[in-house]
Amino acid sequence: MVFLTLSCWIRNRGPDRYWKVQEVLKHARHFRGRKSRCYSLAVRAVRRAFVYATKSRRLKQRNMRTLWITRIAAASREHGMKYPALMHNLTKSSVQLNRRVICDLAVTEPRSFLSLAKLAQARQQEGFRAALGDGKEPPGVFSRVVLLH
Amino acid sequence: MTSRGTPSRFLQSVLLNGVGRYVCQLKRVSIIFSKNAQSSLGVREFIEEGVVDYAKKNPATVVYVSPQSCRIPKIVAEYLNGNVREEIVTSKTSQQISELLTKMTNQSGLDIIRIRKPFHTENPSIQGQWHPFTNRPPSIGPIRPQTQDAK
Repeated sequence: MVFLTLSCWIRNRGPDRYWKVQEVLKHARHFRGRKSRCYSLAVRAVRRAFVYATKSRRLKQRNMRTLWITRIAAASREHGMKYPALMHNLTKSSVQLNRRVICDLAVTEPRSFLSLAKLAQARQQEGFRAALGDGKEPPGVFSRVVLLH
Repeated sequence: MTSRGTPSRFLQSVLLNGVGRYVCQLKRVSIIFSKNAQSSLGVREFIEEGVVDYAKKNPATVVYVSPQSCRIPKIVAEYLNGNVREEIVTSKTSQQISELLTKMTNQSGLDIIRIRKPFHTENPSIQGQWHPFTNRPPSIGPIRPQTQDAK
């Protein structure tokens, strides 16, 4: 008796399973618990990690901007001004510094930031005088915006 | 592909290379190709015309030309900090290979991974880093030598 159908039942599985599994697990090596070791848990965790990474590329810019704003607000409150007043008066004096640069100045260059705060304060006072005064006083120095072409 | 899962580094130069003398960071270039295969056609053309000029222009780099029987021609570049970069040049024209070589010559050997910030300073603060006492007036007055009236 020869068993002929036995050999028909043998399946050749794919040869690459190890490497396909390692491709996923290599992105999960720094995770905590069994999702760094077990494939079925790792697949789900790695997919979520990638989704979070894609979404957070937009979030990062938002978070950095709020961080800069918080720091500028704290620094300007030390000099007796509030953040909206500072930024509005700086733009009115045509100081085109963005929040990142002003935040770096506030951290590493405190005296330059003080001078910016004083400039904004002076412009604010000129604005008040122009609004509340009669128009007979001469306009202030910082309200003269020079248009360079 | 997460920022924590993949390696990253800060921007740096190798020992402030351009400040004084510029030292080419490419130590050794080995061109591995085959004498008869179709894929190394561009490499063979480059070796006929361009290699000697390249070697004369870059006296600090050693160029090794090694014909072997291989299926894929490669250029292996070794840098002064020990990093080795292999580039596969199958079916590239001589022009493309010379551009690739100039690119590798201009690179320093630092890893090609995500650079966290596009800038770097040794001295970020000139007026002094902010600390909680920067904008506070001092509580004691200026220190003067003791007057003799107390005695």
